[in-house]
Formats: sequence, C-alpha cells, structure tokens
Amino acid sequence: MADHNPDSDSTPRTLLRRVLDTADPRTPRRPRSARAGARRALLETASPRKLSGQTRTIARGRSHGARSVGRSAHIQASGHLEEQTPRTLLKNILLTAPESSILMPESVVKPVPAPQAVQPSRQESSCGSLELQLPELEPPTTLAPGLLAPGRRKQRLRLSVFQQGVDQGLSLSQEPQGNADASSLTRSLNLTFATPLQPQSVQRPGLARRPPARRAVDVGAFLRDLRDTSLAPPNIVLEDTQPFSQPMVGSPNVYHSLPCTPHTGAEDAEQAAGRKTQSSGPGLQKNSPGKPAQFLAGEAEEVNAFALGFLSTSSGVSGEDEVEPLHDGVEEAEKKMEEEGVSVSEMEATGAQGPSRVEEAEGHTEVTEAEGSQGTAEADGPGASSGDEDASGRAASPESASSTPESLQARRHHQFLEPAPAPGAAVLSSEPAEPLLVRHPPRPRTTGPRPRQDPHKAGLSHYVKLFSFYAKMPMERKALEMVEKCLDKYFQHLCDGLEVFAAHAGRKTVKPEDLELLMRRQGLVTDQVSLHVLVERHLPLEYRQLLIPCAYSGNSVFPAQ
Amino acid sequence: MALSTIVSQRKQIKRKAPRGFLKRVFKRKKPQLRLEKSGDLLVRFHPFSGWEWGTGEVHLNCLLFVHRLAEESRTNACASKCRVINKEHVLAAAKKSRG
Repeated sequence: MADHNPDSDSTPRTLLRRVLDTADPRTPRRPRSARAGARRALLETASPRKLSGQTRTIARGRSHGARSVGRSAHIQASGHLEEQTPRTLLKNILLTAPESSILMPESVVKPVPAPQAVQPSRQESSCGSLELQLPELEPPTTLAPGLLAPGRRKQRLRLSVFQQGVDQGLSLSQEPQGNADASSLTRSLNLTFATPLQPQSVQRPGLARRPPARRAVDVGAFLRDLRDTSLAPPNIVLEDTQPFSQPMVGSPNVYHSLPCTPHTGAEDAEQAAGRKTQSSGPGLQKNSPGKPAQFLAGEAEEVNAFALGFLSTSSGVSGEDEVEPLHDGVEEAEKKMEEEGVSVSEMEATGAQGPSRVEEAEGHTEVTEAEGSQGTAEADGPGASSGDEDASGRAASPESASSTPESLQARRHHQFLEPAPAPGAAVLSSEPAEPLLVRHPPRPRTTGPRPRQDPHKAGLSHYVKLFSFYAKMPMERKALEMVEKCLDKYFQHLCDGLEVFAAHAGRKTVKPEDLELLMRRQGLVTDQVSLHVLVERHLPLEYRQLLIPCAYSGNSVFPAQ
Repeated sequence: MALSTIVSQRKQIKRKAPRGFLKRVFKRKKPQLRLEKSGDLLVRFHPFSGWEWGTGEVHLNCLLFVHRLAEESRTNACASKCRVINKEHVLAAAKKSRG
C-alpha cells in the first residue's frame, strides 16, 4: 500500500470521495453537521485536484490552503467523523496526504479542547495509519466502536496512543511536511507508551502481524517434535507391508523440509550434509537424538535434515521390499496363465481322435473325461501328463479321475479367484496349493482319448468362463463342474433338437431356420423378441453382420437369403 | 498378470465363438448330420474363412443358455444368502430349466 500510494491513492481516493460526497451523512449525535459539511467542502476542493492527477504534494499544498481556511472545521468534522465508523475510515483514507499537514493545526488545537482534540488527533493518526498499510485498518476499526460510544475517553486514549505509535513510525518514515509540531506531539505522546514492534511493522507492512523473532522458537519446538516423531514412524514404515505407506511417510518429510530450507544458508549446508549421509540411513537416526541435545537451532536443523534422509531412505527401502513380493506374485500369476494357455493349446494341437471311443464312452466316462481334461487344461507345468493320466484312468477309476480333476479344478478355481481378491494374497495362497496338487494326479495313463476330450473341454471351458462372468459372483469349483455337466447335457439336447427339426424339414443339413425354431421352442425367441434382436444383443459386431441380412451397395444383400 | 489383462482376455475369449469346438461337438454327437450351409457365405465379403452361419447361431444359443443358467444360479445363491455360487445353486437352476 505504501508503495502504491501515489498511484492507488488517486483512484480509490476519488472513488471514496465520490462516495462520501454523494452519500448522506448520518445524523450526527453531536451538533457538528456544519463541520461535516465544511469538511466535505474541503474534500470537494481537494478532490478536483486529485482528479486532475496531481501528486500528493500538490494535494498537500491544497490541503494546506484549505487547512489554513478552516482548521476548526477540520477538527469539528473529524469529530463528526468519529461518530461514523465507515465514513471516518473512508475519509481517513482520502485525507492521507493532507492529514499529515492537518496534523499541525490539530496538534495546535489539541491542547485547547482536551477530549475533542484528542479525538481528532486520534482520527488523523488513524488516517495516517490507514494511509500506510491496509492491515492497519484494524486499529481504526477498533477505534470506531470506542469512538461511537461517547463516554469512553480512556479507551480512545489508549487507542490513540497506539495509533500515535504507528504515526510515529509513519512520521519517521515519511519526510516531514512541515509537521514538526505534529511529530513532536505524537512523539511526546508516544513517550508514554513503548511500541517497539510498530516500527518494524511499519517498515515491513506486509509482515505487520509476523514478528520475526517468533520463528526461532517455533522452529526449535517444531524440530524437537519432529525429532520425537522421527523415532516413531520408522517403526511403522518397517512394519507396514503395504507399499502405499511410502507417500504417507514422504509427505511429512516434505513438510518438514519446507520450513527448514528458507531459514539460512547454514541449513542448506546441513541438509546437504544430511543428504550425503543418507546412505547410512540407520546411523543417522542414532545421531539425530544425540545431536539436538547439544545445540539448539543449528543442530535442530541438522536433525531435521537427518530425519528427512532417514525417513526417505527407510521408506524407500521398505517400499522396495514390499513391492518385490507383489511383483513376484504377479509374475507367478502370469506364469500360471501362460502355462494354462500352453497346455490348452497343446491339447488342442494333439487333435481329435477316435470317434469310436466317443460312442463307447459316451455314457459316464465322457463326464469324467471331460472333468479330467478340463482339469488338465487348467493345470500348469505337467498338464499334459496329468491329462493323459486322467484320460487313461477314466475307465479304471472314475472316482480317482474325478478327484484329481477336482483338485486341479481347485487350482483353477484359485486362479479364477485371483482377480477377485487381492492378487498377492491369492497368489500366495494358490502357490503352495498348486505344487501339491500337481503331484497328486497319477501318471500311468495312455494318451488315447486325451486329444478327443481336450478340445471338448477347452470349448466347454470357454462357456464355463462365460458362466462365471455372467454370474458376477465367485463360484466354487464344484459349481463349475456342475456347469460343465449342464453344458454337456445342453449340447446334447441341442443337437437332438436340431436333428429333429432338420428331419422334420426333410433335410439332412441343419439350417438356421431350425435353430430359430429351437430357440423359439426354448422361449428365447418370441413374437416380441426376434432372432435378430438377440443377435444384436449378445453377439459381437462381426457375427451380427454375418447373421443379420444387410443391404450393401450394388443391390446386394449379405448374407444372401 | 494384472486384473485388467485377465478380464480383457476373458472378454476376448468370450467374443470369439469356438466354432471348431461347436462343429466338433455337433459332429461327435450327430455324425450323420451336417451343420449347415456355409459355402456361399464363405466366399463373400468377409474374411471369415471357415466360419459358418449356423455355428454362429449355435454359439448364440449356447451363450443365451449359459447366460440364463448363470442368472438363475446367481439368483439361487442370493436367495440362500451365500456370497459364493454353490453346486446346489447351479443344480437347481439346471433342473429348473431342463426339467
């Protein structure tokens, strides 16, 4: 504010003057309306000068002249100002420049009317304070309520002294404008009260409320607290196994560093030393509690730096450790998935064989074979061998075959469950389970029916996965087995129905119309829901294009009807 | 593998109809039958070689069946206030649909 006075005063000053001129004054409790009018006249005389953009000196000159004209008017008007808080403030702001000159007559008038003179002097002093700093508005505001009450002279006295202390600083900072008397008077008043802080605030208006002396104490206490807390968090960091603890620990370090850095250069040097010693993280902590006992500010800063370094290193180390097992778990999960895919591809690659076997074993063995092959499809590592075992053992011991696929499916269920719960936990739980399960399936089995069933199981597994996806809920392994059985039965029914429909139509080739009939029979396709609607709903775009006839360019429809 | 990749893999598997599997199953079940008309379709615009219209519909049928079954079993599980779908839930659903 003090810096921008020459520029900013003109604009707000003019605005305030306009406001004051236009606004009606409050009815004064005291018979000083005339004085207020006189004061306003003075303001008006001064305002055009301000509007012309003259400097403060010119305004002061003008105010000097005005002052000479009506000193008493000033005093009386100022007395009138006292009654109205906002108005007084605004006028004080407006009259910052001339106030300095007005101080002279006021000082002259002061001794004459004791209470009244004191008030205008206070007002002027408050104006001066306002002129300097915006935060100084509070003193005038504090003045105003006191002023409004007519009977509180003592309060005003104290405030006036306070203000005069500010004015003393103001007068000292400002070059005298012929205010020797005023300054002397203010100084005389200031002598009674010592205001050491005020000149500091005047010199640094922006920091009026922040005595710098406070910092050292706060920093010391703060660092001591930091030191105390620095001992605690490392334990938490080390004990916590989640990687997300890092930012929690890191943020207080950042906060601690921020107040430390701006202090002095010595701090930076200490921090640099602390950073250098970060490699010896644990050692720093031992040093940190010992050092602050010796020194105060400097050591406190060192402690802070060391604590920062230690905490950062510890967090980093712990974070790395924590991340590693997660990575391992993820890698293992990947391996499993890859192996699973590989086993499936192997089984499919071996190809379908022996339709005769299918006809023989269709009854119950198919189920076990399906289970076994499915279980092998999911197994990783010795999946092929286990599949062979399952396929060969189906006739011999369906029970054992069912047991092994169940165990294998347990593994697969673990894999299915991995995405749902925390991957780390699931992986850790499935890791020990799977190697145990792998050893279970017996080896002495032929590889005959395996290729036949494996692709069947692979395809079924596809639908089983669809089932688990649609269910949106975790499922048991046995439930998945049930799903496979149901799918098998369904396929059978499907084929039978298609056969019947095709035969009814006199064809040997199943056509889409048969399928539509089947779906209608199932209730999927109704008069409201047509086949095309279902196709659009459930199938991807490529299939939809193939299934639903669309007209293309060249007067062609695809697929042809 | 991250969760996202697992889910995306599943989705890809889902979208693709295991046509070979379907054809194989059909042939296994009813070797005397042939699946359907596909020749003229294959020659057409789309690069879907070996894809058959019928299998698409069959696949749709299976999809719908699985969907219904899953919904029903999920309803059963929720009815029994279980967080996990059990075997009996699936069985009940199957019995309900198949009779």
